[in-house]
Amino acid sequence: MPLLEITGLTQRFGGLQALSNFSCCLEERELAGLIGPNGAGKTTVFNIVSGFYKPTEGSIVFNGKRINGLKPHQVTAMGMARTFQNIRLWNTMTVLDNIRLARYAWLNYGFLSAVLRTGRYRRAEKAIETKAREVLEIMELTEYAEEFPKNLPYGLQRRVEMARALAGNPRLLLLDEPAAGLNSADVEGLIRHIRWIYDEFKISIWMIEHQMKVVMSLCRRLAVIDFGCTIAEGTPEEIRRDPDVIRAYLGDGAL
Amino acid sequence: MQRYAINIFFLVAAVTLVGLAQAGMLDKYVLTVITFMGINCIFAVSLNLVNGYMGEFSCGHGGFMCVGAYAGSLLSVAFFTNSKLFGAALFAPELAPFLFPLVLIGAGLAAALFGLIVALPSFHTRDDYLAIITIAANYIIISIVENIDAIGGPRGFSGMKKVVGLMTDVANVPWMLIWTIIGLFACVMIIYRLMTSTYGKGISAVCQNEVAAEIMGINTNRVKIMAFMVSSGLAGLSGALYAHVYGYVNAQAFNILKSTEGLVMVYLGGMGSISGVLLAAVAFTLLIEVLRFVIPWLNDVLHATGLLAVNYELGQVWKWVIIPLVLILLMQFRPEGFLGNRELTHVFPRLRRWITFR
Repeated sequence: MPLLEITGLTQRFGGLQALSNFSCCLEERELAGLIGPNGAGKTTVFNIVSGFYKPTEGSIVFNGKRINGLKPHQVTAMGMARTFQNIRLWNTMTVLDNIRLARYAWLNYGFLSAVLRTGRYRRAEKAIETKAREVLEIMELTEYAEEFPKNLPYGLQRRVEMARALAGNPRLLLLDEPAAGLNSADVEGLIRHIRWIYDEFKISIWMIEHQMKVVMSLCRRLAVIDFGCTIAEGTPEEIRRDPDVIRAYLGDGAL
Repeated sequence: MQRYAINIFFLVAAVTLVGLAQAGMLDKYVLTVITFMGINCIFAVSLNLVNGYMGEFSCGHGGFMCVGAYAGSLLSVAFFTNSKLFGAALFAPELAPFLFPLVLIGAGLAAALFGLIVALPSFHTRDDYLAIITIAANYIIISIVENIDAIGGPRGFSGMKKVVGLMTDVANVPWMLIWTIIGLFACVMIIYRLMTSTYGKGISAVCQNEVAAEIMGINTNRVKIMAFMVSSGLAGLSGALYAHVYGYVNAQAFNILKSTEGLVMVYLGGMGSISGVLLAAVAFTLLIEVLRFVIPWLNDVLHATGLLAVNYELGQVWKWVIIPLVLILLMQFRPEGFLGNRELTHVFPRLRRWITFR
C-alpha cells in the first residue's frame, strides 16, 4: 500500500483550472520530487494535500485514510509535515519555543491543567522540552535555542523550519522549495542535510524544487507538471531527456 | 528565598494595604480609588489576552464586563438576600464571605459563555471586521440588559450593598478590597501561566502566523475560542467586583466608553505585556483622579496670573481634553506603549533574580 495516493485531483479557482486530473503515488521511504515551470500548480498540489484547499475533484489517501476535506491541523496530526516556500517561523518566539509548538497537536492537557500546573501538565511539558532539545541537537541548532528566528541568517532559518517540521515525528515530509533563496554553498549543505534527514528519521520526503542540482542529486523519481497537468514521470535521467519537459521549460525552439 | 522576594513583596504590600484600610488610615475615597485601580487592572489584563497576545482587535470588552456585573449581582442577591426577584435567600447570611468566590466564578463563567457566543460567528473574520462584530456585541448586550424589566432595565440593579453588609457583619474587614486583590492575583496568575505553557503559546503562534500555526497542528479556531473565552471570563470577574464595590449596576456604565478605556490601558502599556498593562491601568486610573485636583489648582493659578479670562472657569470637562492629549502625545512618541511587548523583567534583567512566578 502506498503512503500517499493521489487520484484524479482537480482544482478550480473560479474560471481558473489550477490543476487537472493530477495523479501521483508515493511509496513508504521514498524521496521524490515535483517540478515544473513557475505557475504550473506545484504549490497548489501541496496546499491541497496539506489541507489548505478543498479539492474540486479527486481523492487523497494518506496512510490508508482519505484525507481530503480534513483541516490542515488534522492532517498534521496524522503524520504529515511541511515547510513553506517563504519561511513561516514565529519570529517573536525563541527557536526552542518554535520547535516546542510543533508538538501542539499531541498535547494531552487543557486550560485548567495549564493554569493549575498539574502533574499531567508538568510531565507533558517536560516531554515536549526533551523532544525539542533532541531535535535541536540532531539538527545542530542547540546553540541557537534561545535566539529569535528573525535574528538568524536565512540558511539557518530554513534549518529551523525543517527542525520544526520534524519535531512532529512525521511519516511524510513535504518540502516546498527548500533551496529558494540559498547561495550555492548553502545549497550543498542543504542537500547533505536532506539526505541525512531521510536516512536518520526513516521518513518519506516529497519536495518541490526549482534548482535542478538539488532534485537531480536527491530524488529517485520525479513528476513534472505544467499548466496543472502531469507531463512526465520517471527517474531524473529520463526526465532530463524527455522532450515534453524540455519544451515546457525552454520552449519549442529548444528541440 | 531571594527568588521569592517579589512574591513576598506583593504579599506584604497587599497585607499592608488591607491593614491600613482596616485601621481606618485610608479615607473612603482613597480606598475606592485603589479598589477601582485593581478592577481596571483585571479588565485591562484580560483584554490584553485578545488584543495583545492574540493580535486581534476586540472593541467590545465592556459588554463582557456588563454580563459579569449583572450575573454576579444577580447571583449574590439570589444567594444571600431575600428579594422580590428570587424570593428567600438560598444560603444563610453568615455564609456570605465564604461563598462569595462562587459569585465571582459564576460571573466569570457567564461572561465566558457570552464570549463563546460572540467568538463563534467571528471565526472567519479578523482585524477591522472583528472589531465591528465586537462593537455590535457590546451594543447588543447592553440593549438586552436594558430591556429586561425584571432586573431593572434602564434603571439599573441594586441590592449588592446588602451582601457586602452581610460580609461585614461576619467580620469587619474591607471585604471588597480583599476580593479585588485576590481577583487581580488570580487573573494575573491565570494569564501568566497560560502564556508560559505550550498550550497558551498557541495564542501567540496564531497571532504571528496563522498559516504556520494551522500547519504545525494547532487547531487555530479552538485556540481563538479559548483565548476569547478566558479573556471575556476575566472581564466578567472584573464586572462582578465593580458591581459589588458600587453596590449598583447600570448597563450604560459598560458601553463603548468602558471598552475604549480598556483599549487605552492596553495600548498605553504595550500589547502583550502583563506588567506594562498593569502599569498603564494604575497610571490611567491615577491620572483621572489626579486631574480632579489638578484642574481646580490650574484654574486658580491661571486666574492669579491673569492668563485666563475672569469670567471663564476651567471645569472638570477639561479632563477629557487633557487625557486624550496625553494619549496622542504618547502614541506620537512611543507608539508601542510603555513596555512594547516586553515584560519589566526584560527591560530590567536584574529584576529576574528576585522573581519566580510559577
